[in-house]
Amino acid sequence: MGSGIWSTDVYDAADRYRRSTGRSAFSYSDSGARTVHPTLDPRDATRESRDSDEHPRSTPIAVLFDVTGSMRKVPRVLQTKLPQLLGLLQRQGYASDPQIMFGAIGDATCDRVPLQVGQFESDNRMDDDLGRIVLEGGGGGQMSESYELAMYFMARHTVTDSWEKRGRRGYLFIIGDELAYPQAKAREVAGLIGDDLTEDVPLRQVVDEVTRRWDTYYLLPAGSHYAGNAKVLDFWRDLLGQNAVVLDDLDAVCETIALTIGLGEQAIDLDEGLRHLDRTGSGTTGTVSKALARLGRGRRAEVSTLPAFRDTGGEVTRL
Amino acid sequence: MRHVAVVDLGYGDAGKGTVVDWLCATRPVHTVVRFNGGAQAAHNVVLRDGRHHTFAQFGAGTFHPGVRTHLSRHVVVDPLALAAEADHLATVGVPDALDRLTVDGEALLATPYHRAANRAREIARGADRHGSCGLGVGEAVAYGLAHPDDAPRVVDCHSPALLRRRLTALRDRLTAELGPLDAPPVEDCLPAFTGFAGRVAIVERSWLAGALRAGTCVFEGAQGVLLDEWHGFHPYTTWSTTTFANADSLLAEAGLPDGATRIGVLRLVTTRHGAGPLVTEDPDLPLADPHNPTNPWQGRFRFGHFDAVAHRYALAAAGGVDGLALTHLDLTGPGLRICRRYDTTDRLTPGPPGDLDRQAALTARLLRSRPLYDDPPPDWAEAVCAELNTPVVLTSHGPTASDKTPHGPLLAPPALVRSA
Repeated sequence: MGSGIWSTDVYDAADRYRRSTGRSAFSYSDSGARTVHPTLDPRDATRESRDSDEHPRSTPIAVLFDVTGSMRKVPRVLQTKLPQLLGLLQRQGYASDPQIMFGAIGDATCDRVPLQVGQFESDNRMDDDLGRIVLEGGGGGQMSESYELAMYFMARHTVTDSWEKRGRRGYLFIIGDELAYPQAKAREVAGLIGDDLTEDVPLRQVVDEVTRRWDTYYLLPAGSHYAGNAKVLDFWRDLLGQNAVVLDDLDAVCETIALTIGLGEQAIDLDEGLRHLDRTGSGTTGTVSKALARLGRGRRAEVSTLPAFRDTGGEVTRL
Repeated sequence: MRHVAVVDLGYGDAGKGTVVDWLCATRPVHTVVRFNGGAQAAHNVVLRDGRHHTFAQFGAGTFHPGVRTHLSRHVVVDPLALAAEADHLATVGVPDALDRLTVDGEALLATPYHRAANRAREIARGADRHGSCGLGVGEAVAYGLAHPDDAPRVVDCHSPALLRRRLTALRDRLTAELGPLDAPPVEDCLPAFTGFAGRVAIVERSWLAGALRAGTCVFEGAQGVLLDEWHGFHPYTTWSTTTFANADSLLAEAGLPDGATRIGVLRLVTTRHGAGPLVTEDPDLPLADPHNPTNPWQGRFRFGHFDAVAHRYALAAAGGVDGLALTHLDLTGPGLRICRRYDTTDRLTPGPPGDLDRQAALTARLLRSRPLYDDPPPDWAEAVCAELNTPVVLTSHGPTASDKTPHGPLLAPPALVRSA
């Protein structure tokens, strides 16, 4: 007789029912909101990823995506896909105690909500943040978005136990299709984030700062306006090297992120990760394989010390 | 119109799911009615194209377009597992399972608190585990009996304030008894339960009578008669009536006493998952079950030779059937034998429901009994028919509906009946 193979997670169930009603998960934005939701407002904010009894070795993961018009349907697809990320990471045990933060990037020169950042969460409460993101319809036409402000925030307004206690970088994924502006402008930083800067911070310095503490990736997905545009890819390759990744199929976004983290944590090598995807019946193996070919090369994992995922601190093991 | 009721005459896992799937494949079925158990059911259905689903709360006919599922008030409903199950059905080509579901508002809810309490108790039993699935179904039934006016029920999901009170009282009572429970806060549970109420049709008791008038219904039992709360081998039983009794009472309420053809499902290899007597158990049987892996709550899946003594007992406890469905005939091997009597007895007789001391004594006796075997019969269907004095009306030689063969008119597809 049965063994309860269907998930009985309350957060998961709430999300499944919400999705099955067809109600847009961008409920805040779709209800007409045009200002940043208070919980996502970066002004005077610091986002923390902390260890706890339940999550003693937190791994911070931030996923920030471009929500301007050039991304077309991408933000909505991401919204339906990203809630699966935590489950995927936990099932495979690619990272210890993942804590995920979602955020959104716009254009500070013309958008009403150029930067939105949620909190690091270790359960599906992060989905609430996704639902509160305001989508921008516009976009400036100058082929640039304020990615530099997002990276500035990540560099100077996040605190993680992973870094402070263990000297380990977190993972930052930026999903977008345009260039960053050449500097984080002091005026915009003051207005949006609240820091008093005496001068602009050049993009290169922002990247240096953020990559010191965050293993930073740029994902350029198919279906966005400038996808495949060599200028955009070259721009990010110049800044992030092989960490600028082209993604053929947006449906593979969670798998790509999860495998990237698995590779980074040396929990798997690329072949092993792709075998995991195959085994779960994921149709994304080809896309992920292509996207991560450069990352996987030469990163043969020597160790696989991460324990299998267990979602409990007590003696009662959940099935 | 003749409805069909399907009950397992073993310890579960005999193949109710595949029989229900076959019934829905071979005739127009309006609704599959669940009348006992809860989300711990695991009825595996495999289609010819390889798609597979383990039905827990949805009826095993759900692969067939238009076939509805009704969870009657005898089911313990788990909205959390239901959402996950619906999502999996969508991935195997059934996107509208929730649209085809009705749930009786009087049914008890299984909650994270029941689950946590269930596991805490089972862990405390140590080596004397009952083989619980750890989903809190029995816990929900026990709480419903102890606090009938205060137990969370399906219809409460429409009233968040009431549900919050009931969940809080439930949590507090179980915590007082067992200590801190590994379960989320009440506030965090509410969105899932209200989400369920917003998505699924919650109906009144009278809904079923309408369905029974509208078309053929299949009553799908969960678990097996040998695990029945009163007739099973105490304490290795489930908190559920696994005989036809609940189906009979639902039919009688709808004005249709004796309205269903009664089918008992038997597997050629007697199996059991979890602790408790399995007299014919033989670890040397070269068998494995792809859908019943070893799990931490029930341990490994156990195989035994065909135990005619136990199945005769189940048949009597269930009050007889109109026909038997015999599954897994494709797995007959030369090593599989038939047990017609034990060294201690050749007949077990059911007692009146409610006498658990008698059942415990019976369990003790079974644990001492040794099987006496006869050689494998040349024709298993004939042998089972003779041994249980009941016709075998359906045989199954493989996992899919097309591997089934009806025998005689009782379950013949309507087209065949007409041409006969």
